[in-house]
Amino acid sequence: MKLKSILTTASLSVASFSYAQEAAPLQISGSVDTYYKYDFAKVPNIGTSFANDQNSISLGMIDLALKKTTGKASFVGELSFGPRGQYGSLLNGDGTDENSFHIQNLYASYAFTDKFTMTAGYMGTFIGYEVIAPTGNFNYSTSYLFTNGPFQNAGIKGAYAFTDKVSLMVGLFNDWNVYKDLNGVSHIGAQLTVSPVAGWTAYLNVLSGKSAGAVGTGTVLDLTTSYQVTEKVKLGLNAADYSVTNDGGGYSGAALYLQNAFTSAFSLGLRGEYFNWKGVAEESDKHVAAVTLSGNVKAGGLTFIPEVRFDNGSSSEMFKKKNLNPSKNASQFALAVVYAF
Amino acid sequence: MRKLLIVVLLFPFAGFAQDVELPFDERGKFIYYEVVSQKEVKAEVLMERAAKFFNSSKELKLQTSPQDSLWMARGKMVINKTAFVLSRPSGEVWYHLYADFKEGKYRFWLTDFSFISYHRDRYGNFVPETTVAIPLENKPGKLNAGEWTAYSKATAREAKLFAERFKKGMSESAINPPTAKAVPTVDTKNQKW
Repeated sequence: MKLKSILTTASLSVASFSYAQEAAPLQISGSVDTYYKYDFAKVPNIGTSFANDQNSISLGMIDLALKKTTGKASFVGELSFGPRGQYGSLLNGDGTDENSFHIQNLYASYAFTDKFTMTAGYMGTFIGYEVIAPTGNFNYSTSYLFTNGPFQNAGIKGAYAFTDKVSLMVGLFNDWNVYKDLNGVSHIGAQLTVSPVAGWTAYLNVLSGKSAGAVGTGTVLDLTTSYQVTEKVKLGLNAADYSVTNDGGGYSGAALYLQNAFTSAFSLGLRGEYFNWKGVAEESDKHVAAVTLSGNVKAGGLTFIPEVRFDNGSSSEMFKKKNLNPSKNASQFALAVVYAF
Repeated sequence: MRKLLIVVLLFPFAGFAQDVELPFDERGKFIYYEVVSQKEVKAEVLMERAAKFFNSSKELKLQTSPQDSLWMARGKMVINKTAFVLSRPSGEVWYHLYADFKEGKYRFWLTDFSFISYHRDRYGNFVPETTVAIPLENKPGKLNAGEWTAYSKATAREAKLFAERFKKGMSESAINPPTAKAVPTVDTKNQKW
C-alpha cells in the first residue's frame, strides 16, 4: 500500500513537471544576509540604513521574490523578513507596529508592445544608486543618499523604449515609502535612461509632489550612472538634490563608486560621498563626508564583504567618542555574509 | 515492483547525469558542430530556409550578407537554474553561429561562447550584472569552479536544443507547415439521447 502511494506521488510529480515545462516557470529567488559591526568608538555611531548594531553578530533579512510571466503579463512579489525589513524599513500597513515583514516589490505589468510597458503596484524606487537588497550593492553599509532618499514608490507607470539606447518612464506615485496614500496620488515621476556606449548607462530621475502633512512640495532631481570602463574596472556616480518648498529643508549630495575586480572571486570597491542636509527654516545646513572601502569575496552564491568606513561631519554633534563626548568623526569595521539564491 | 520503484526514483537524476560539456575545437574553444545531409535539396533552397529561420528568430542577428557562402550570426541563450518546477535565470551566453551550405547538405557550428552573469535588480527582475562577457573556456578559481561548470554544461544543453530547432527550421516540413486541423465539435442539437 505504501509502495503504491509512493508510485502515485512520483507519477503525479513527473506529470506536473511535464506540464510545467510548457509554461514559463515560476521564478523564486532571494537572499539572506548577516553581519558583524564594530564601531571604534564602541557606540553605534554612523546612522545610515542597516548594519547598525554595535559589536554584535546581527541579522539582516531573508528576502524572497516570486516572478511569473504569462505571455505579455507578469507579476513580481518580493517580501523580506528579519531586522532589516522589520525595523529598518517601513511600518506595518496600518502604521501602528514597527515590527513587520516588509514588501519590497508587489506589482503587475503588461507589455503592450516590445517597446511599451505599463506597471502598477508597489515598486523599488527608481531614484538612486543603492538598493535595499544587499545583493544589489557592492558596499554593505549604505550611503547617506540612499538612507535619505525614497526606498519604494507605489504607483502606476508607463515605460517606452525609443531605441536600444534611449527610454523614458513616466508615472504617478503615492508619497514615498507608503502602501497607501493619505492625500491622494500626489507625486509625479519620470526617468530618462540613456546608454550612449556599451557599458555606460545613465538615469536622469525626477520625483515631485506634496506628501501628507508636508509644509511644501518636495522635488528630487537625481542622476545615477555607471560605466564598465574595462573588464575589471567599474565606475559609478550618484548625485541628487532634494528640496522642499516653504523652507521645508531637503538634502543634496554626491557619491562616487570605484570598483576593481582583481580576480573573478575577489574585488575591491571604494565609495566616497559628500552629503549635505539642508536646514529647515532658520536652521543651518550640516554636512558629512564618508569614505568606505569594501571587499567582495565570492564563492558561488556566497559573498563575504569585509568593510571599513570613515565619516567626518561638519558638526561635533553628529557622532560620539568612546567617553560619549561629541565628535566630528566616526569609523567602523564590518564583516557581512550575503547569500543569493 | 521494487525494480519499477527504483527506475521511477532514479528517473529525474538520469537526465542530470547525462550532462556533459561541449568538446573543444582546434583553437581551444568550445564548439557544437554538426553536418546535416538533405539529399536532393539544392544549396539555394537550404539558404532560403536558413534565411527564413534567421528572420523569425529574435535571439539571432545575422552578421554577414546572405550572399556569402559562410554565414555568421550572433546569438544569445539564457541559462536557467532549475529545481523541480521552479527556475530562475542565472545568466546569458553569447555565441557565434556559423552555417555553410552545399548541394544536398549543410553544416553549422556554435562557438565563441561567453557568459554574462545575471543579478536581481531593484524591481525583482534578473538582468545582466555587467556588459563584459567572459569566455566560457576561462575557468575561474576554485571558489567558483562548480558554478562555472554548471554554466558550461547548461550551455551544452541549450546548444543541443538550439541545434534541434535549427534542423527543424531547415527541414522541408518547416517551410510548408501542415494546415491547422479543424477543432472537433460536438453536435448537441441533432442528437438523440
